[in-house]
Amino acid sequence: MKKKNIILAALAVSLTVSAGVGTAWSYFTTYAEASGGYTLNLGDKTTVEEEFSSWTKHVAITSREDSEPVYVRARAFCGSDYQLVYSGSAKWSPNSDGYYYYSDILNGGEKTEVLDIKIENIPVDEDLKDGDNFNVVVIYETTPVRYRADGTPYADWTATLNTGTVEGGA
Amino acid sequence: MAKIKRFITSPRGTMVTFVLAVALLLFSSVGGARAALAYYSDTYVSRVQMYNIGVTLEERNGEEDSWKSVSWRNYDSNRSDGTWDESRGQLLTGIKGAKEELKIGKEYTEELRVHNTGEINQYVRVNVYRYWIDKDGNKLRNLSPDLIRLHLANIGTDWLVDEEASTPERTVLYYTKLLEKDATTSLFADSLTIDGMVATKVTQTSSTNEAGLTTITTTYDYDGTQFCVEAKVDAVQEHNAQDAIWSAWGRRVTVNDGSLSLDR
Repeated sequence: MKKKNIILAALAVSLTVSAGVGTAWSYFTTYAEASGGYTLNLGDKTTVEEEFSSWTKHVAITSREDSEPVYVRARAFCGSDYQLVYSGSAKWSPNSDGYYYYSDILNGGEKTEVLDIKIENIPVDEDLKDGDNFNVVVIYETTPVRYRADGTPYADWTATLNTGTVEGGA
Repeated sequence: MAKIKRFITSPRGTMVTFVLAVALLLFSSVGGARAALAYYSDTYVSRVQMYNIGVTLEERNGEEDSWKSVSWRNYDSNRSDGTWDESRGQLLTGIKGAKEELKIGKEYTEELRVHNTGEINQYVRVNVYRYWIDKDGNKLRNLSPDLIRLHLANIGTDWLVDEEASTPERTVLYYTKLLEKDATTSLFADSLTIDGMVATKVTQTSSTNEAGLTTITTTYDYDGTQFCVEAKVDAVQEHNAQDAIWSAWGRRVTVNDGSLSLDR
């Protein structure tokens, strides 16, 4: 008898639920959906090429094919006995911070025009001794091209990278 | 009188009365059925008309002047199989030139709206998703949706943000007005910018070789990842809208004189 009551109760519940579902489905609804996006290519690989002739360093920077567009700046350092004179392409222009800035955006696969760095006040031959040497070090930096809201490109040389944590390994 | 009483109380009288009752019952049922058939037949015609609900997501971006239908789902009762006319398109395809690289920081025009392409008035809502995926399509939950800056429009007036249902990845918008047949909503988004912060997030790994030289490698966290913008439009019938929205979307709303507001 009890079993019969349980079956009847279950039947009543399922009928009630079924009635509710029927009500829920009676509204007219529809939908439409779409998505989209693009892959970002970040990071750059650049190399400096130097040739030395007539006491002049001829410097150019090359960007690898898969690099993102960057801005470039370069300068050289030497001992106080010498003087460095910059010349070459008009696309290199000096700034008060001592760097020469390349005016064009350097896209992946491209190479800058040459920046000439001439070393002056070179000791005359009779002052040179065997084993003497001098150093002129060229450094260059790149920063990714950024865009303002209107699409105008600019360089942010003050941008710092957020490194988070450093993962180590031997 | 005595004869009638005797006839009614006799088994024969009982049988006659029973047959009469059954006949009356049958006739009354047939009459009712016929009436019901006529009644439902009329209603059936109008219900077919109401059933043609439809909605379309429309986009205008880049240098385009015209709107394009990206995705839609419209019920078409004229089809022999009574099925849906539906299509799912892709967003952002015209946001830039085909060979142009996406410029980080640039504000691109990306206008989105909803078009009622059905036969009945409706209320609509939009779920907007922003997220990052890797090259295999897996969602990258450690990267910030906030750097995908889809600028929402007409918020607080034509569109309401359901703060309770929204997350950093998902924004739920309700259109406050009744969207009539063939009408379009005002914009719910008008521009898209990828924040320049994506180019500053890096991870460095260091490794030391046997000679004791340490190499530090820096990789951009967002390099090679794809940002995604997804919009899902929901539409529900105008009739009995409050209950319909509660039933279909699970959200309590108040509809007053064609104006929708979210219940707290």
